Amino acid sequence: MMLIPGFILRLAVWLLLAPLLPGIINKVKAWVAGRRGPPVFQLYYDLAKLWRKGVVLSELASPGFIAGPAVAWVALVMAAMLMPLGPAGSAFGFRGDVLLLIYLLALARFCTAWAAMETGSAFEGMGSAREVSYAVLAEAAMIAAMLSLSVQTGSVSLTMMLSPTAGASAALLAAGLFTVLLAENCRVPFDDPNTHLELTMIHEAMILDHSGPPLAAILHGASVKLLLFTLLLVQAVLPMGELSPLAGAGALAAGVLIVTAGVGLVESLLARLAFRHVPLLLTTAFLLCLFALLVAWKGGAK
Amino acid sequence: MTPGWLLLFALAALVAAVGFGPRFPRVWLALTLAGTTAGLGAALAILAGGADWEWRSGLSLGGESLHLRLDGVSALFMVVLCVVGGAGAMYAREYWSDRDYPDSAPRGRAWWSGLLSSMGLVLTASNGLHFLIAWELFTICGYFLITLDRQHREVRAAGWLYLAASHAGTLCLFAFFALLAARTGSWDLGPMREDARLAPLFWLALFGFGIKAGFFPLHIWLPSAHANAPSHVSAIMSGVAIKMGLYGIVRFSGWLPLPAAAGWVVIGLGAVSALLGIAFALAQNDFKRLLAYCSVENMGVILIGVGAALLAVSHGDAAWGRLAMAGALLHVWNHAAFKSLLFFGAGAVLHATGTREMSRLGGLWRAMPWTAGLFALGAIAVSGLPPLNGFVSEWLVYLGLFDAVTGRGPSAWAAMPAAIMLAMAGAMAMASFAKAGAMIFLGAPRTQVVAHAHECGGWMRGPMLALAGLCGLIGLAPFLFWPAISRAVEGWHPAWASAEAPAPLATLGLAQVTLAVLFVAAAAWLWRKAHAGGLRRGPTWDCGYAMPTARMQYTSASFSGMASGWFRWILQPELRMRKPHGSFPGESLRLERIPETVLEHVIRPVSEVIMRVSASVRRLQHGRLQFYILYVVAGLIAMGMVTLWGGAQ
Repeated sequence: MMLIPGFILRLAVWLLLAPLLPGIINKVKAWVAGRRGPPVFQLYYDLAKLWRKGVVLSELASPGFIAGPAVAWVALVMAAMLMPLGPAGSAFGFRGDVLLLIYLLALARFCTAWAAMETGSAFEGMGSAREVSYAVLAEAAMIAAMLSLSVQTGSVSLTMMLSPTAGASAALLAAGLFTVLLAENCRVPFDDPNTHLELTMIHEAMILDHSGPPLAAILHGASVKLLLFTLLLVQAVLPMGELSPLAGAGALAAGVLIVTAGVGLVESLLARLAFRHVPLLLTTAFLLCLFALLVAWKGGAK
Repeated sequence: MTPGWLLLFALAALVAAVGFGPRFPRVWLALTLAGTTAGLGAALAILAGGADWEWRSGLSLGGESLHLRLDGVSALFMVVLCVVGGAGAMYAREYWSDRDYPDSAPRGRAWWSGLLSSMGLVLTASNGLHFLIAWELFTICGYFLITLDRQHREVRAAGWLYLAASHAGTLCLFAFFALLAARTGSWDLGPMREDARLAPLFWLALFGFGIKAGFFPLHIWLPSAHANAPSHVSAIMSGVAIKMGLYGIVRFSGWLPLPAAAGWVVIGLGAVSALLGIAFALAQNDFKRLLAYCSVENMGVILIGVGAALLAVSHGDAAWGRLAMAGALLHVWNHAAFKSLLFFGAGAVLHATGTREMSRLGGLWRAMPWTAGLFALGAIAVSGLPPLNGFVSEWLVYLGLFDAVTGRGPSAWAAMPAAIMLAMAGAMAMASFAKAGAMIFLGAPRTQVVAHAHECGGWMRGPMLALAGLCGLIGLAPFLFWPAISRAVEGWHPAWASAEAPAPLATLGLAQVTLAVLFVAAAAWLWRKAHAGGLRRGPTWDCGYAMPTARMQYTSASFSGMASGWFRWILQPELRMRKPHGSFPGESLRLERIPETVLEHVIRPVSEVIMRVSASVRRLQHGRLQFYILYVVAGLIAMGMVTLWGGAQ
């Protein structure tokens, strides 16, 4: 049974590498601003600290307040298991797994929003209302992007879809998916992970009342989600299928680094958008993915 | 026993239940459960691979001999009828008990059994005339069930609207069956794909059945009827009665030759219903209206699948058409299961608090843990999230649409927008149910009504648990249900018969089981970890504000404000606002009402014009004899002139 060790190895890679990405983003931001910045491994230290801490629960919270982050974390990690890793393929792939991936992300969102509403705080209500509302446009963009990959490769399983030949739609898709990445992971210009004004936040506003291990699960899950979207973007754009395994792995790692640095640069150079403009940007992302779909359609049958 | 005998037994039991219902509640429950179990047995026997059951009798009714039939398609709908019918009967025993409603509960039991038997007849009737009779009986029973609580003005109004809308549909069905009989020369129903002259009749059927199915914009009766009916009636109306309309569409799209545009129109209607239905749902403040509009969305999802299958039939693409149709038919089951569960949960909340306004509830999980948990499960299922059943059927429909796109045929131009709109509808369904669950069960109680809330008893909880179990079972082991669905698809389009599942359902089932196990394990682990590290309770942090009150919580309107703002053009919200003024402001308020736009901005103005015209015509009739004689003379002269000049040629 090569299956089980391979699965565990892959799981370990995901769980251990994911918290690196926010560290890299912060380093890039610090570098642009001319600061030293927190260490790259800061999130690891935070997670370890939170995991050892006790929990303060709101008097209003039901058991769902703790179950929510747990389910969301599992959903994100399992979505990550569906994601192929360049030459290594995916741990568990089947026809139509792309839809399971999208809906697992939606389940994670549902659980986070549900847990946020447990506390009866207006701030958390605000955060989850924004989260579920923006998801409407983000999911439309995701499905359009996936449709364009499907058209390009003639397949509906992620392993096939994410090894396209370099298509004419790649640039459009890259722009669209990068915007979705920023929105889904609550980065600037949609949300500011560093702000201290709860009124202006989405993700951070939802988790104000979480503490200890549940907060660690949420933060770790968020980093897994960021890595997931980064990998999705890189593999959707790079013609992985045409590279040798070693070159593929190298290209994948380089791509992830570039995208992460890109997120950091965007965060350093742009300001957060006013909330009333966020739907416009998301609609733009949707249109980019839609045009990618049309270009892929025109690009000729495979 | 053969399906025929089981069905006969079911009918006999249900008819007896109508008789016994008013006086003997226990006998009624036993008979209804026996009848629905027998009906379920017959339907499952067909779906498990038995031959179609057909029965022609020498008995004649209205000059036509009886002809009954139960094939894959009708058996699929029969399952829904029997499951929800039986569960609702049990639920009603506590929810609408003789003690609380001494006047209407006995009536309700009789009409309930009447509704079940008449819907069973609709599903088995294979003669146009008898179909119409059963259809009318079913409509009437539905009307009396909706208006059980008829002291309330709005209940009577909702019932009246239901009756009027249903009869507009029945009118079309009369025309449909009469034209069908006139063109084929017989009232007998059956496959008649060869006769191309019948194709235009499909539009009549689509409109007539569509009113009952409640897709946009024919849904006008649905929200008020489902919201104002007692909750077990809402459950069967939403879970089963609107499916009868869908049954009509599926049945006759399988039997009739199709006009070229049929698939395009149906998939378009489905996509629009899905998106706009859920947009209306999201904006509601009344949780039963929210559930009702969500039914419009789910009918849309089903119609997307049916429409894709119709496109596949007309373009000859069996593989993805079968997937889409299977998804649509499985969604019929799934929607019945989770929507009845949600309506039962809503009924429990209504029973405990007496209000349907979400903005007056909150924090109910403490008083009603079972209802809260089961409602949350239903919410996950209805949002189409893994690992429950809603995801499986939506996944099949998506897969059909994706395959249609990768097939690069002309149908792709319908499948692409449909898939995107389905995704948006899914995200909005999630928002709607995050809102409903959170407003009702989470946070702090918003008003005093919550203070006396109590958990529902065993007769209400049992059916909810059973339906939740069904949601879980279909979600975790979808392959168990594939043969039944495949049998129904085969009944719809015999050329698509196939033994093996075209989609990796077993793999999906494995993934779903893994997910479910991991979810439970992770939640339990985190729960223990949180308690092991010392768990303290404190007030909600609220960014340091020390005195949060229940009124500071996000309300249902504020939660959905942003997304429903995008649909302002169709929602047309009516706002009443009094802003605070001056240094010592008086009372201020902000009230928002979401009207039923199609009804209040389209149907009502049109009918007002019609009423005004009729009123002016009525002035001719005033009771003065001499003027009537003048009309007669004028009429005679006019006719005389017509014959004189008109008859000259």
